[in-house]
Amino acid sequence: MENKKTDKGGSNRRNFLKLGFMSSVSAVAGASIFSSFALPEEEAVESGEKIRLLTPDGKIVEVDATKVNKYPEALVTPEESRIGIPNRKFVMVIDLARCKNARKCVEGCQKGHDLDYNEEFIKVQLLKDNPEGAPYWLPKPCFHCDEPPCVTVCPTGATFKRDDGIVLVDNERCIGCKFCMTSCPYSARIFNWGHKEKFDDESIPYSPETSIPAAEGTVSKCDFCPDLLRQGKLPYCAQSCPMGVIYFGDKNEDIVTNGTDTVSFSKLIKDRGGYRHLEHLGTKPNVYYLPAVNRQFPLERGFDIDPDILNRYKDVPYVQDFIKQGKI
Amino acid sequence: MNSKKYKYTIITSLIIAFFINFNGFSQELDASNYRMRLSLNSFKQSDNSRMLEVSFIGQNKDDRKDKLPVFDAVIKYYNEDNLLGEAKTSKEGIAQFTVPEGQNYITDENGYINIIAKFEGSEGLEEDDDDIQIKDLFLELNLKEVDSVKTVFVRGFTKDSTGVKTPLEGVTVAVSVGGMFAKRKLEEVIIEDGEFEFEFPTDIPGDVNGDIMVYSTVQNSDDYGTVVQSKSVNWGVFKKETVKEQNQLWSQAAPIWMYIVLTILLLGVWANFLYTIIYLFKINKGGKEIEGEHVTG
Amino acid sequence: MNLENRKRELAKEFSPLLEKTTIASKVWMGFLIAVILVGIYAFFIQLIKGHIVTGMRDNVVWGIYIINFIFFVCLSYSGAFISGILHFIHTPWKNSVSRIVEIITVLSLIIGPIFILLCIGRLDRLHYLFMYPRIQSPITWDIIAIMTDLVGCFIYLFLTFIPDFAILRDHSEKAAKWRQKVYKFLAIGYQDTPTQRKKLHKITSTMSAMVIALAIVAYSVLAWIFSLTVQPGWDSSIFGPYFIIAGLYSGVAVIIISMYLIRKYYNLESYIRTVHFKGAGIILLVISLLYGYFTFSEYFTRWFSHKVMDTELLETLFTRYFWMFIFANYIGVLVPIVILFFKKIRTIKSITFAAVIAIVGLWFNRYLIVVPTLETPYLPIQDTREEFIHYTATWVEWSLSLTGVAAFILLFILIMKLVPIIPMSGIIDHEREQEKSKKSIK
Repeated sequence: MENKKTDKGGSNRRNFLKLGFMSSVSAVAGASIFSSFALPEEEAVESGEKIRLLTPDGKIVEVDATKVNKYPEALVTPEESRIGIPNRKFVMVIDLARCKNARKCVEGCQKGHDLDYNEEFIKVQLLKDNPEGAPYWLPKPCFHCDEPPCVTVCPTGATFKRDDGIVLVDNERCIGCKFCMTSCPYSARIFNWGHKEKFDDESIPYSPETSIPAAEGTVSKCDFCPDLLRQGKLPYCAQSCPMGVIYFGDKNEDIVTNGTDTVSFSKLIKDRGGYRHLEHLGTKPNVYYLPAVNRQFPLERGFDIDPDILNRYKDVPYVQDFIKQGKI
Repeated sequence: MNSKKYKYTIITSLIIAFFINFNGFSQELDASNYRMRLSLNSFKQSDNSRMLEVSFIGQNKDDRKDKLPVFDAVIKYYNEDNLLGEAKTSKEGIAQFTVPEGQNYITDENGYINIIAKFEGSEGLEEDDDDIQIKDLFLELNLKEVDSVKTVFVRGFTKDSTGVKTPLEGVTVAVSVGGMFAKRKLEEVIIEDGEFEFEFPTDIPGDVNGDIMVYSTVQNSDDYGTVVQSKSVNWGVFKKETVKEQNQLWSQAAPIWMYIVLTILLLGVWANFLYTIIYLFKINKGGKEIEGEHVTG
Repeated sequence: MNLENRKRELAKEFSPLLEKTTIASKVWMGFLIAVILVGIYAFFIQLIKGHIVTGMRDNVVWGIYIINFIFFVCLSYSGAFISGILHFIHTPWKNSVSRIVEIITVLSLIIGPIFILLCIGRLDRLHYLFMYPRIQSPITWDIIAIMTDLVGCFIYLFLTFIPDFAILRDHSEKAAKWRQKVYKFLAIGYQDTPTQRKKLHKITSTMSAMVIALAIVAYSVLAWIFSLTVQPGWDSSIFGPYFIIAGLYSGVAVIIISMYLIRKYYNLESYIRTVHFKGAGIILLVISLLYGYFTFSEYFTRWFSHKVMDTELLETLFTRYFWMFIFANYIGVLVPIVILFFKKIRTIKSITFAAVIAIVGLWFNRYLIVVPTLETPYLPIQDTREEFIHYTATWVEWSLSLTGVAAFILLFILIMKLVPIIPMSGIIDHEREQEKSKKSIK
């Protein structure tokens, strides 16, 4: 009896092994068939991001999305980046009446510049100007001031102002003294405190115009996305805003657009009372704000965000009231 | 034994089928969950050529926001039965084919051109097509200074088979100026009698040479598709930057007085250091001489 | 007075201090070296892991390192100032103190910039400061000023060492061979002839005048790193003079403390006498009154005009930093004034105690200048991470601060082994003066 049992056990095992072998072979075969469907390599650099497409035969495949820029033609070296796009003067207008803290600008910028969750080039603040006024959401990129205090104090010239108005940071020259961070009155800059893996990414050559890859121990900030501007596209934040809050354009040709509406810049500022933040400090910023009048929806719409982000605004009395009432 | 063999065969085939399916599940799905949409649009451009754009995208039946563009599909364009050409869809599912200016279209009895875009089906995708009926609209844009007033003239008309011009009626025409990122609308009018004119604003800067690109556009009309006409005119009032910022605190070159003060201070101080060190060497020399005297004396 | 005999006497008197090391001294040096080693370990951790191991984050980007930098550099400038002035004053008691002051000057000017280096994110790019300098930047001015000042003070220190090296070279037959060689080399052939003496005196005078001027200019430049920005709490017009007075305050306090320690542990009671302490105490009193006046002006004017940003800054100071503020600006100012004001309680011990309070208070005052301003920017910090809102120093920063202090003390002790802390040539000069005046009276 025992012999028979072990015999059966032996043949069972053999069968199972045969089974396993056949199924793995079929799996490998299937994989190799699939890989032959891979699309021809594009010359442009892969972004690591995948998009899903349908082949003409009706099969769904995943392909690497191509980066916005096509290297090496698109590379603007640090020396070249000190000269701006000729005959332009870039300016941004942010319509506070429409901003509802969707934070798509923040996320779009983070995706476009390979930033981590808490690293923000454009920050959204909740401000209340005076006790009687209403609080409002303020998206705050770098203002690319015409008389930038940050550029004045840089000891090595790592941050510079170009002729087209954009202030950039050259991560290959920055020594990390952080003087620019202490002198910016708008707290627009962030610092790379420790080493991150994304700094070692050598697939894209570094350019101050893309701010990728960042370097450890250097300063970064909103750069108005010159790499997109050179292709006639709006910066990531302006593209991502669902409410059309961020207008961007060239002051020289007097046109700003948010992707849908295109208006005359000077008329927009004159008619809607555009102003700049902390004007009296004499920095001459290039980001104008349209006052938060005729708000289209209540402030609470903007509380629909991650609790840890909502916790940032706990010092604003309006939010404190809400917390007291247990609404959030 | 037979039943056992039978059992094993079933288990084997099930496992094989499972693996194949598993394989497919992780890497491929067929498109049966998606409804394909093929749509055709016509864009007549400033050089009177017509760009026929097809978008061929699948939309998830359950989740309407999930869109899957078809890539590399061959779209054939026909005017009635006449094959105009073909194009392949891009990664966004868009295929564009441009018909040159002098094309003689076959029109129907009302003067409409019938254009069909067809995707001849494949194993996984069904055949699909879309067609539009449009009339050939001629849009003219003229920019002239009349009585020292800068005026924009727009004329639109269609021609029938004999060449008789019929003026355009009841269609919205927009006139805009071109910018770096987008076009800014100046006027939008429903055209009557085939023409309209208006005064061009005097505060538009244009580009660095004062050139402005003016566009007249009929957007997404049922009868005519999209028609664009453009012209460049040197009516811009571009204010050239007279003063280039140099020698400021924030420019690369510093204010001149800083260089002067710094040089004076540093020269003064380091000259003194040099003087001191030279004196030290003199003391050294003097000391050596005295030592020499001590030795010899 | 036979010059050579007197020199031999002095050399004999001071040589033991230079050549012998007591066990207690060795133990103490061992302890200091241990502290420094821990600091070096902390430095390597920071070098490898990046500045994330410190407490500095995006808003408070300058922390303990910059505070130590200002602190040590202000010691140095006040030392330069005082030693320059001492050179021109002909008082009998200046001699015992002058070398202590000069050594403090040079040592703190070496230790201070090390702290700035710790604060720089990319040490591998330090040479860019010299390849691509921008002279509009206050940091460039500061680098030029500190380098120039370091060279100047070092030359000045060396000039004062030369006569002593000459005495030691001539009269230390019993000393170790290497010591004799060092003395010979460093004395650069100074034979104390009248011509040499006159030459040396001339260049020392010019250097001391220069050092005073350098001290004022250079420390103003450091103050301007803060006051040329627009930040609330920093854009004050009196920062230049305020920092100089604060520097003098801390400098005199450190001088008093080092006088006390040297007097006690090197048994130099005959040279460092009560009159020195009383003199230094009176100077400290005057400076502390000035310092209190400047501090009061700063905060009073901000409180009175109650601009929004000033009000917020004061609120931060009086809520989060309440006890630090009380200690730095009330106790740190008033206690020394009270102690030094009354003649009866002016003893050596109490003056030293006042100096200790003064110095600790001043360190906290520097903290209150640097950190609270960065915690109350114009646009409120609305961040999720607590460490980005408030600054807390980590062990790396504290350990490196202690290392700086330990290195300062260690270097001081080592220099005292090279050269006597009381200038022998000064003693001889002083006695020569006394003889001359006696002769002239006769």
